Amino acid sequence: MSEQTQAESMKSELARQQVANGPLLDVKDLQVDFTADGHSVHAVRDASFNVYPGQWVAIVGESGSGKSTSAMAVLGLLPGTGKVIGGSIKLHGRELVGLTRKDYEDIRGRQMGLVPQDPMSNLNPVWRIGTQVKEALVANNMDVSREKRSQLAKMLASSEDVTLKGQDDELFIASADLPGLMDEARDAVTKAGKADVDQAIEHFRSEWDPGSETRWGVARDLIAAGVDDDEAWAIAKKYVKGSDMNDRIAGLLSEAGLPGAVTRARQYPHEFSGGMRQRALIAMGLASRPDLLIADEPTSALDVTVQKKILDHLQGLTDSLGTAVLFITHDLGLAAERAQHIVVMYKGQVVESGPSLEVLQHPQHPYTKRLVEAAPSLASQRIISAKERGQDTRSLMEHHTKGEQALEKSEHIIAVEHLTREFKLPRKQEMFKAVDDVSFSVKRGTTLAIVGESGSGKSTVANMVLHLLKPTAGKVLYEGKDTSGFGSREMLDFRRHVQPVFQNPYGSLDPMYSIYRSIEEPLRIHGIGDNRSRRDRVKELLEMVEMPSSVMGRYPNELSGGQRQRIAIARAMALNPDVIICDEAVSALDVLVQDQVLRLLNDLQAERGLSYLFITHDLAVVRQIADEVVVMQHGRLVEHATTDEVFDHPQRQYTRDLLDAIPGGKLSLGLD
Amino acid sequence: MTDTTMNSNSRDSNAEVFFPDPLPGQERFVASLDQTPLKEVDSIDEEAPATSMWADAWKTLRKNPIFIISAILVVFVVLVALFPSLFTKQNPVSCNLENSLEGGGGGHPFGYDLQGCDVYARVVYGARTSVSIGIMTTILVTLLGGLVGAIAGFCGGWIDAVLSRVTDIFFAIPMLLGAIVLLQMFRTSTSIWKIVFTLTLFGWVNMARITRSAVLEAKNLEFNTASTALGSSPMRNLFRHIIPNSLAPVIVMATMSLGSYIVSEATLSFLGIGLPSSVVSWGGDISTAQNLLRTNPSVLFYPSAALAITVLAFIMMGDAVKDALDPKSRTA
Repeated sequence: MSEQTQAESMKSELARQQVANGPLLDVKDLQVDFTADGHSVHAVRDASFNVYPGQWVAIVGESGSGKSTSAMAVLGLLPGTGKVIGGSIKLHGRELVGLTRKDYEDIRGRQMGLVPQDPMSNLNPVWRIGTQVKEALVANNMDVSREKRSQLAKMLASSEDVTLKGQDDELFIASADLPGLMDEARDAVTKAGKADVDQAIEHFRSEWDPGSETRWGVARDLIAAGVDDDEAWAIAKKYVKGSDMNDRIAGLLSEAGLPGAVTRARQYPHEFSGGMRQRALIAMGLASRPDLLIADEPTSALDVTVQKKILDHLQGLTDSLGTAVLFITHDLGLAAERAQHIVVMYKGQVVESGPSLEVLQHPQHPYTKRLVEAAPSLASQRIISAKERGQDTRSLMEHHTKGEQALEKSEHIIAVEHLTREFKLPRKQEMFKAVDDVSFSVKRGTTLAIVGESGSGKSTVANMVLHLLKPTAGKVLYEGKDTSGFGSREMLDFRRHVQPVFQNPYGSLDPMYSIYRSIEEPLRIHGIGDNRSRRDRVKELLEMVEMPSSVMGRYPNELSGGQRQRIAIARAMALNPDVIICDEAVSALDVLVQDQVLRLLNDLQAERGLSYLFITHDLAVVRQIADEVVVMQHGRLVEHATTDEVFDHPQRQYTRDLLDAIPGGKLSLGLD
Repeated sequence: MTDTTMNSNSRDSNAEVFFPDPLPGQERFVASLDQTPLKEVDSIDEEAPATSMWADAWKTLRKNPIFIISAILVVFVVLVALFPSLFTKQNPVSCNLENSLEGGGGGHPFGYDLQGCDVYARVVYGARTSVSIGIMTTILVTLLGGLVGAIAGFCGGWIDAVLSRVTDIFFAIPMLLGAIVLLQMFRTSTSIWKIVFTLTLFGWVNMARITRSAVLEAKNLEFNTASTALGSSPMRNLFRHIIPNSLAPVIVMATMSLGSYIVSEATLSFLGIGLPSSVVSWGGDISTAQNLLRTNPSVLFYPSAALAITVLAFIMMGDAVKDALDPKSRTA
């Protein structure tokens, strides 16, 4: 109870401080132009937003909306021909537009930090992680022996029980002094006899990271463990005397959530996973304790569970440091979950902004409404196809399964039994099991989704079902027949009935082929029709995916990702297949486009009784499209149930973690 | 690490809906619709003209002044090579020692060389030798190197290993040294083919390497998997998808190296192991004129300039084609 009131009072105290000091970042009528071939393109027009100290503000928009451009303009890092041609950007009341390069360099790092989008390309592969963190510290002349706190953090800390007494209270523990400190802390806690000694020591061990925990923090922890005030401060003063560079690097990394930071600092980027690299980048972005951290889609390339962990950690960290965060994302649910204030951008303009929940629950601008409607993480049920709207899903499924010939054919159109696939790892003796004894079946006319994180083996399963990869053991049944025994005639027939749609809309169409040739190719391979009838069929297929027939003469490079994906679907539909295997087919698309493609897939299913095997990492999408879900982890099937079952009563902890990690999944929203 | 919490928004409150008072400047804002008209999701610009990769490349090339200049030069040189009699009435091999080292004038703009031959006529007729050796070698190199590279890249496995090692062996032989040794055996032959074959024998390796990597790259692109899943056979994939998609670097390599083959021919002739002096060629003329560098530099200058301009034209054209086919390689 008292904690709650304390938190409440702190909140209002924070708000009071924020209002009194004014915004940290104030962007007014920002205009950014790019010039290409003598034309200028307005990338950002009249954008205004501000960020208060200690606040998370999210800019939401699709690719090309100008969200990243605005952030880069604030950092003074506009790429290529980009130029700020109007408006103002003020940080701490100081105008940044028109600053010289030198002045900007002083501000970047020290006052503004950046966590970039792509963790894979933003670390130098030939340098150790520690060296790269060191660079961030050295470049900004950071004092590595003590914490640099923002005023806001100091103010908030002063409202706690233990106050900062002097400048030296911000000194860090050095690794050399830690053993001595631990010994004396144990003695002191034992002497005080107020807390369980082992528990307290365990707590100290996890909290007191060299180069990260301050004298003040040590004293506070000791007092909390029952040690007398004066004695606690005496111990802290005796042992906490400031850290050196190596301690500070390790401290920064452990703050960012990298366990075993001392070893980690000596490793190279290739030894890190994507999530670990992103943590290292966060450590670098916060190394010089900026007041404002700009996070440009920091977790878009990562799995949802990793995303949640990293953002939770970042949020805790920035909250304790009093760092404001300008968070760039395409995911409205994520933005609403993390930020207090949302700025929605569309075609270079701010179309709506306001408190995040209010914007989410009462979107006013038609574009925001569209976004809210399309956001998969916020959708609570399966998309109902245009044809079947109004019927409940059960009768929908019955309709599919009943179909005219369904009685003669088997109920399960695709079944896999004990599917296993091993790969040989380089320089290792034992085989790596990418897929381990997986069995499931797809009912005719329904959608089965395979969900899992990267490396769970889900795409390997898809490739084995498609016969692009041979299973080590187990079999794939199509219409009850084992596909491994198929001769070339039967295989051609199988290919005709089971079609793929791949993840990468930029890679799955041959850039040398016109759209017409791409869609016509399957007809040609299977020798169907003559030139004339094929042309008619291509037109029909384009109509089916809602594309004008004028695109026939175009080439893939002229189309957007979503349009290419629709062409890929048209190509897959050319042979009137029974099964379509979508391998992350919508993962690379913007939400609105993703929604459009999902609806198209759904309508096609209703019209033609198609069966889908839908591979995705995104549970939110699953809810929109799937009837049944298979959850995979480390190559094994961990859960298999109907979609509602999985969402409402997940059986396994792993599934629950996945569900928890859906950004904005717990936010309630009301569309007016 | 300190654990001061100052979560000031409602992200922790799951159920209750809580709107904190917005801070100044962060009040609710909604843009009017006429300011940013809403467009159809993912709409297609139906007006834009369709362009294939080749059409696109051609459009870029047409606008590139370097390409235009080099193309004009190349066409001119090829014309000279095909129809030398259109450009001079003189016979390059009917020489009169009376005219030895006479200056230019009249129907002999470049004057005479030591043997009393017309320099202009020799430069014009020399073009044929140089250009035909360059073009022939390029064609053979592209065929041989392309074939080996494509097979190695496409088949992979032990075939790739064997072919790649063979390529490495040839790569280890210095081209000029190998050519000197080989051409010693055919010193008297006047056929340009001995040069063409020699240059091909030592020149195909580069092409094989480039083709192999282009094919490997094209082979791993997703559209090949896609068309396999459509029921396409590997051979069909090779001819319909992989080869067309790996042509660009091969074409670039071919145009760029054409110039260097012309230089190699000139070098071999200069060294006296290329074509015998009875065949008119720039390299041979440069070789004979080298002694006159101090006394009559113009005799040396004209064939050298012709060689330099021709080679430059081909290399510039190769560069322009490279830019057009691979816009990424351009430096802004």
